[in-house]
Amino acid sequence: MADERLDEAGFARAARAGFARERRTIGFAWIALLVLMLASLGSAYLKLGPWNMAAGLVIAGIKAAIVAWLFMRLRDAGTLIRLAAVAGLGAWCLLVALGGIDYATRTQTPSPVQRPQQLLPAQAASEPG
Amino acid sequence: MTATTLTDAPTEPGLDPDAGKLGMWVFLASELLFFGGLFAAYLYGRSHLPAGWAEGSRHTDVLLGTVNTAVLLTSSAAVALAVACEEEPRRRRWTARLLALTAALGVAFLVLKGLEWHAEWREHLVPGPAFALHVAGAQQFFALYFVMTGLHGVHMVGGIAALALLARGRSHRRAWASARHVEAAALYWHFVDVVWIFLYPLLYLVSRHG
Amino acid sequence: MTTDTLPASYLDDGLTLRSWLATTDHKRIAILYALAITAFFFVGGAAATIIRMELATPAGDLVSDDGYDKLFTAHGVIMVWLFLIPSIPSVLGNFLLPLMLGAKDLAFPRLNLLSWYLYVAGGLLTLEALLLGGVDTGWTFYTPYSTMFSNTYVVLTLVGVFVTGFSSILTGLNFIVTIHTLRAPAMGWFKLPLFAWAMYATSLILVLATPVLAITTLLVCAERLFQIGIFDPAFGGDPLLFQHLFWFYSHPAVYVMVLPAMGVVSEIIPCFARRPVFGYDSMAYAILAIASVGFLVWGHHMFVSGQSLAASMTFSLLSFIVAIPSAIKVFNWTATLYKGSIRFDAPMLYALGFVGLFTIGGLTGLFLASLALDVHLTDTYFVVAHFHYIMVGGSVMAYFAGLHFWWPKATGRMYPEVWARIAAVLVFIGFNLTFFPQFLLGMEGMPRRYHAYPPQFQVLNLLSSAGAGVLAIGYLTPLVYLAWSLARGKAAGDNPFGAKGLEWETRSPPPTHNFDTPPVVPAKVYDYHADEPEPEPAP
Repeated sequence: MADERLDEAGFARAARAGFARERRTIGFAWIALLVLMLASLGSAYLKLGPWNMAAGLVIAGIKAAIVAWLFMRLRDAGTLIRLAAVAGLGAWCLLVALGGIDYATRTQTPSPVQRPQQLLPAQAASEPG
Repeated sequence: MTATTLTDAPTEPGLDPDAGKLGMWVFLASELLFFGGLFAAYLYGRSHLPAGWAEGSRHTDVLLGTVNTAVLLTSSAAVALAVACEEEPRRRRWTARLLALTAALGVAFLVLKGLEWHAEWREHLVPGPAFALHVAGAQQFFALYFVMTGLHGVHMVGGIAALALLARGRSHRRAWASARHVEAAALYWHFVDVVWIFLYPLLYLVSRHG
Repeated sequence: MTTDTLPASYLDDGLTLRSWLATTDHKRIAILYALAITAFFFVGGAAATIIRMELATPAGDLVSDDGYDKLFTAHGVIMVWLFLIPSIPSVLGNFLLPLMLGAKDLAFPRLNLLSWYLYVAGGLLTLEALLLGGVDTGWTFYTPYSTMFSNTYVVLTLVGVFVTGFSSILTGLNFIVTIHTLRAPAMGWFKLPLFAWAMYATSLILVLATPVLAITTLLVCAERLFQIGIFDPAFGGDPLLFQHLFWFYSHPAVYVMVLPAMGVVSEIIPCFARRPVFGYDSMAYAILAIASVGFLVWGHHMFVSGQSLAASMTFSLLSFIVAIPSAIKVFNWTATLYKGSIRFDAPMLYALGFVGLFTIGGLTGLFLASLALDVHLTDTYFVVAHFHYIMVGGSVMAYFAGLHFWWPKATGRMYPEVWARIAAVLVFIGFNLTFFPQFLLGMEGMPRRYHAYPPQFQVLNLLSSAGAGVLAIGYLTPLVYLAWSLARGKAAGDNPFGAKGLEWETRSPPPTHNFDTPPVVPAKVYDYHADEPEPEPAP
């Protein structure tokens, strides 16, 4: 029918090397994702200090890249789609980077009238919300 | 087509296959910013209330979280396979089943999440007067935990509904359950998966070695 | 209706209420938006009227303190989110974009209708909050007041804003996809009308910035309802986190309000000067530059909030930079007039008014971008005057310019030119009388959001309130004559102004499918010649 004809024309470009290859790619990607998840889990139990967060985020980044590149087909997509994918991330990075300048350079000067927990975050029991 | 259409230009709005795909990616860009505000708030908390973040994260159910991550990753693979089957005429009949499988995995995820939340409620980890942890910042951690996983869950519900509808539509050979719509739903599902990919280490793995 | 009597235009294509409320025709949706935003404009205007009446005398005697807080909050919330943000994009953009591109409709017509319903739903929720008793936090909803201390309908209002936000996001999405995929094949990017460029850049902002507002409203609601503590310093939270998130959206939002206005002006000035726009390429790049650099400056709203000095300096520098592409545009509009054959029709009066008032507004923005000056001027009437020069002297004037310019195209009727010019002049005079004294008040130290003030400020306040009265007449006048023109206006013809652009190649009002025969994309955009004989005025 008309819908199928239009769809076939549209997807002919995307289906490059056939179904078998696609299925293999998906299979390997899936395994890789599960392995990376376990690596992330495992690395959390090692005492790496600040590198724990870095490891977690880097692994998450790789997993996200696998999903975006292979599952979401950015590998086959044109420049416009890739730009759309990057634009959101770029805007978010601006929020964190410029906002981060404030947080990185603001001096905390607690005033005496504040409640104790503000001054000693790790100690006294916090009051209920 | 009637005589009033324009030559050369795509004539019926919305039928250009690239328009739907571009539209979904633009939508996903907006969704990234939507969740992004929460991630920014999370970053604030992690850097300014590290003890509370660590304490809170230690009280999340890492087993359920990991199982759920595996479930969601598998569901992404399933829907990617569904799209691949859609493009291959001989495998097209698998599309509906794989869409249904994806939806089912999504439901499994939500069930496990619900169990997790229920357990956390019983352990007094829901922010409020009876909150169990007494490290400053732990309450904000759990507040963000519930908001972020809650918002993620709402998106999952939408995705499950779309996938289930499409699965049913395909098995009944409805015209609206087209390849374009399947691919769009798949893209959305992958995005929801990517959000979880980041939520997993940020919520469950902050301080496991303590 | 027989098969050989097709409807004459989109206005005749279905006369029932249902045909309007279930339409997917971008032109009808534009009209639906126009009606809705007009209603909200007058509600917001009513709040402003009461405010100016109160401020005519130094004593806070017309309304209570809380009442005054609710008035300026209502004015801000309604004017920003329910009027300015949707005005040009959702009315003029919806109507014109497919026509300008040579397309039959937007890429997603049903999504367009959904956008309108979301807008109306959000607007009704906000209105409900107003009727129940209003909200007193200011349109900026700063924490911790909004989250911990305000006893007004904060959550309800923010839910309304949240819903309206998705209307914006979906409209932006629709426009982006439309411009990428539904242009007439001969229409390359650098043959697009500048209005289309402006819609594109505006849509980028809508899609990328509005979601941050959406999540911020949710966080404020969560903080308010469940005391999560993310904005509460007593729990280690940060009130400035709210401000960062809020202004990350709200600064680009002002470019959502001004870029479409610039697009309108770029269509009108070449037409009534009979000259192609000067520096088309730089105008297009400037639009993109304003949209992108506009994401980098939000901290200039936070100079005295407790933000670090390093961040403030960074934002100050970036704010100076963002003024540059705007200035380029002002220079180019001015250069377009040079050696032009200028006609002072109503759209041109509004457009020229825009250029002058936007320049003043923009320059005063530079005052505020300077850290040292801002310490003195922040939270004074200087700021109020600055943003009203841009939003009212700029955006609203451009909206009226566009409304008049494309009125013949959309309705097939000419508005009465004499009355339109009178209204334009009234608006210009009334506007300046209202807001120029506020610069002086601000410099002298009168704080904003106060309804009682020291007696030495009364003269300027009285002038301002008098100006507001003139402005109100200026705004009400078009309401009357535009409505009149629908019934009794002269038939407009396809192109009463002799304008260039694909929208003028079709009938007035256009048929539902926009073009009877495929429009021919001209070789050059804005192909005006000042030495050509002027077009005949409308019959």
